Amino acid sequence: MRERVRALVRPSKDPVLAAAVALLVAALCFAAWGGWSWHAAADDGARAYGESRDRALSAAEQGVQNLNTLDHRNVAHGLSTWQQSTTGELRKQLADGRGEFERQVKAAKTVTSAEVLSAALYELDERAGRAGAVVAVRTTVNAPKQKPTTKDTRMRCELSRTSGGWKLSALAQVPVGDSAGESGPGASRQDQGED
Amino acid sequence: MSTTRHLLNRQRRLAARTAEPDTAENPPEESPPGPRPSARRTPHAPKQVDREDAEQRAQPDPARARRHRNRVLAALVLLTVLLGAFAGWAGARAGELRGTEAVRNSALTDTARTSEVKGKVTEAVNALFSYDHTAPQKNRDAAGHLLTGPAVAQHARLLDGLRKQGEKQKLVLTTTVTDAAVERISSADGRDRARVLVFADQRSTRTGAAGKANSTAAEDGSAYAGAMLAVEAIRTGASWRINRIDTFD
Repeated sequence: MRERVRALVRPSKDPVLAAAVALLVAALCFAAWGGWSWHAAADDGARAYGESRDRALSAAEQGVQNLNTLDHRNVAHGLSTWQQSTTGELRKQLADGRGEFERQVKAAKTVTSAEVLSAALYELDERAGRAGAVVAVRTTVNAPKQKPTTKDTRMRCELSRTSGGWKLSALAQVPVGDSAGESGPGASRQDQGED
Repeated sequence: MSTTRHLLNRQRRLAARTAEPDTAENPPEESPPGPRPSARRTPHAPKQVDREDAEQRAQPDPARARRHRNRVLAALVLLTVLLGAFAGWAGARAGELRGTEAVRNSALTDTARTSEVKGKVTEAVNALFSYDHTAPQKNRDAAGHLLTGPAVAQHARLLDGLRKQGEKQKLVLTTTVTDAAVERISSADGRDRARVLVFADQRSTRTGAAGKANSTAAEDGSAYAGAMLAVEAIRTGASWRINRIDTFD
């Protein structure tokens, strides 16, 4: 045993063995670098935040699309999907109004479908599990004996992270305000004053 | 052949035999002295003759030494290959993780950049979609220093009707952004690019002849509308320019 150890610590006696030891040391260094690099990339906080952002945005898009989709031939399933996409107060409102709403849709015999044109998060509180998003959605309503009508709607929603993922906790249409001309740049009244 | 060693070995074996009668080895060791093959050691052999024993064994058996050395070499090579393979795999995995969509898109994760983009795009949209018939050049100037690429033609097309009729109708259009959310900020071809969804309030006032006939006008003679558009911006130097306008038509 001792002579084997000696051969290792006195590599000058065996150049091939010396080369092998040197290569091993190099490989060890590379492995250490690789392991550290992998750990740093896996443990990256920005990446985790980015993934959370993507999940919340995806939930916002899916939720808005779901809540603008309803087929009178399959109302029960549609409204169940609505409830599954929501949480908190919004979910409670949908549950409370469900019966009445089902009757209305079945009577009107409408088929509503939706397409999300664009969406983006405007805020994300990862720790609290809350997010806010704006969604531009195009809805098409097919009613019997009528031409399908298409409408573009601006929606603003809030999301909460639940055990089942991100869900809509609030959803509203963005109203047209009269902010234009009051605080905006180039307000007409100010310009006319310069004449 | 060393007689000293031979004598020492014989002494050792005799001593061992008297101290421990139950050895695994058989009597053939006690045969007449002569050149010895590799001696078998008894468990209680005294330590000071170990080294001589070892040397005696090593010298006449270079084949065995080479076999040991080759095994060590093989072990070193195997270890090197395994560590190298791990290094390669770990490095590749790290690269994969860094290249994921979640990392490449820095919207919201880079709060400073997100604010910057949001602010610049808000200012730009307000300026690009506001028009005053008393100062039509302002809008053209804004287009000149805020637009690039396909957005130049897109903007011209969107404001075409407005520019043609604006003077006659004494039109004043004011656009004010109410919501702007950054969907994406990423780097491509060495330049930063961003995509922003914008909601804006638009107020148009026509005080010319055609305007008075507008039955849907509010009390102050203005019409209000809500606009939505997605813009793509690209960083040129220290400022951002809009290079694509999408009105979802």
